[in-house]
Amino acid sequence: MAEIIQILILGLALGGVIALMGSGLSLVFGVMHIVNLAHPALIVAGAYVTFLGFRYLGIDPILMMIPSAIVMAVVGVVIYKLIFEKEARSAKYSEMTVLLTFALAMSVEGLLGVLFTNTHRVTSPAYATDAFFIGNVFIPKGQLYAGVISLTLIAGVALFLKYSRLGYAIRATTQNREAAELLGVNVNRISIISFALGLALAGAAGSLVSFVFSFFPAKHWEWIPMLMSVVVLGGMGSILGTVVGALVLSVIAAFVGTWIGATWSTMTFFLALFVILLVRPQGLFGEKPEMS
Amino acid sequence: MTDLLQVTNITAGYGDGPAILDGAHLTVEPGKVHCIIGPNGAGKSTLLKSICGMLSIRKGDVIFKGERLNGLRPDQILRKGICFVPQERALFPKMTVRENLRMGGFTLDDSKELDRRVGEIMERFPILRERADQFAGTMSGGQQQTLAMARTLIIKPDIIMLDEPSLGLAPKIVQEMFDIMKMISDEGVTVLLVEQNALMGLRNSDYGVVLDLGRTLFEGPAPEVLADPRIQELYLGGKKAA
Repeated sequence: MAEIIQILILGLALGGVIALMGSGLSLVFGVMHIVNLAHPALIVAGAYVTFLGFRYLGIDPILMMIPSAIVMAVVGVVIYKLIFEKEARSAKYSEMTVLLTFALAMSVEGLLGVLFTNTHRVTSPAYATDAFFIGNVFIPKGQLYAGVISLTLIAGVALFLKYSRLGYAIRATTQNREAAELLGVNVNRISIISFALGLALAGAAGSLVSFVFSFFPAKHWEWIPMLMSVVVLGGMGSILGTVVGALVLSVIAAFVGTWIGATWSTMTFFLALFVILLVRPQGLFGEKPEMS
Repeated sequence: MTDLLQVTNITAGYGDGPAILDGAHLTVEPGKVHCIIGPNGAGKSTLLKSICGMLSIRKGDVIFKGERLNGLRPDQILRKGICFVPQERALFPKMTVRENLRMGGFTLDDSKELDRRVGEIMERFPILRERADQFAGTMSGGQQQTLAMARTLIIKPDIIMLDEPSLGLAPKIVQEMFDIMKMISDEGVTVLLVEQNALMGLRNSDYGVVLDLGRTLFEGPAPEVLADPRIQELYLGGKKAA
């Protein structure tokens, strides 16, 4: 029994972090229909921002979430203005963005490689190697903090989207871009803000990831299929779906990893991606293409 | 009476494609219902989309209260006082009825005033009050159309443009939609309507505009349009209009 609780807690904590990693991806897809393949690379960039703050200024990685989010939001505005704004009216917008974000991911990886080399890095605050013990169950403090903070941050974003005026505009644009424009929403501005918010979440996720996983410039290739599985399971564009998808898949992966073998753990995500696309392509909470 | 909206010989189309409108004109008087009719492909919906800024105008002018609207975005034109409800009703399916109504007043800065107006609309349309917390996408077609029309009233616009509000609705519900439209008009809001059911549209309007192949063929009081033998033959299937 203790083992099951142990696996469950670890799975949920990790799932929280993965949910945060995926929520920005989901938000950007929902509002702009951009499948941002560069999102994981930008999470890695956020981890490096945190690494710099931790190593050279001694700032705790959790506190570094704020500057990291701000830096990545600014990067998001620049990327959107330079790359996506002009393409937004293109008839092949969706196809173009897949290629553009793929190229962007390679560019970010290349830039990080030049700046930081390919050495594996990790931030190591004291809590990252400490744990709580409850009976026979141990809970690594780093994972627990990262998971709880991630879910809290996502809840904050969800409340913002639900109740703020800007949140209304973002949700409306996600559901019906043309209708939002007809009701007075400047959808281009909302796209920029949403992209910046998505990347701010990537930056915040990067800070938490920096003490949960080791990272290096090409680390994002491991995360792309994992995050895509989570976002597709939840339903592209649904943040609630992303959270549910991340928690479910992470818990399953934790059980598979413990009982079958660690190498099979990652397979959980890939198999899930296939099954979802075959059985329910719109995911658990995804939008159907047409209104009833 | 001064014209509220004037469309003069506009040319417009989708992207770089051929012109759908080529010489369309229109004059809209305040407080009246104007119905645009014409065969499929005449450019009726394109005309509304051009007025509201969804399509760029290649030639000609759209003048509203003496101000040229060419080149403005839809959100800017809305702020001038022109609302557009497209064929597909443009609701947000995963937002509640109340949230959809609040979105109708997105351009209002005063949140309390917005709440007051949403409450006012729900008083006037009891079905919306009953379903305030229901997702818009789960309502029937008629209820969705009611919501789409009621939502435009939140900002108290000068003109409401409706693109085929009867599309896909049962005949009984269609009459309800026209009744709502009449109610809106009686309050002094000008209605510009595109209607495939030309007979019904004209019977519920003050003025008629006939479009064909992107041009305005005929414009005048609805009874005159209804009585014109050419119009009856071409667009009303030779039905007696009276």
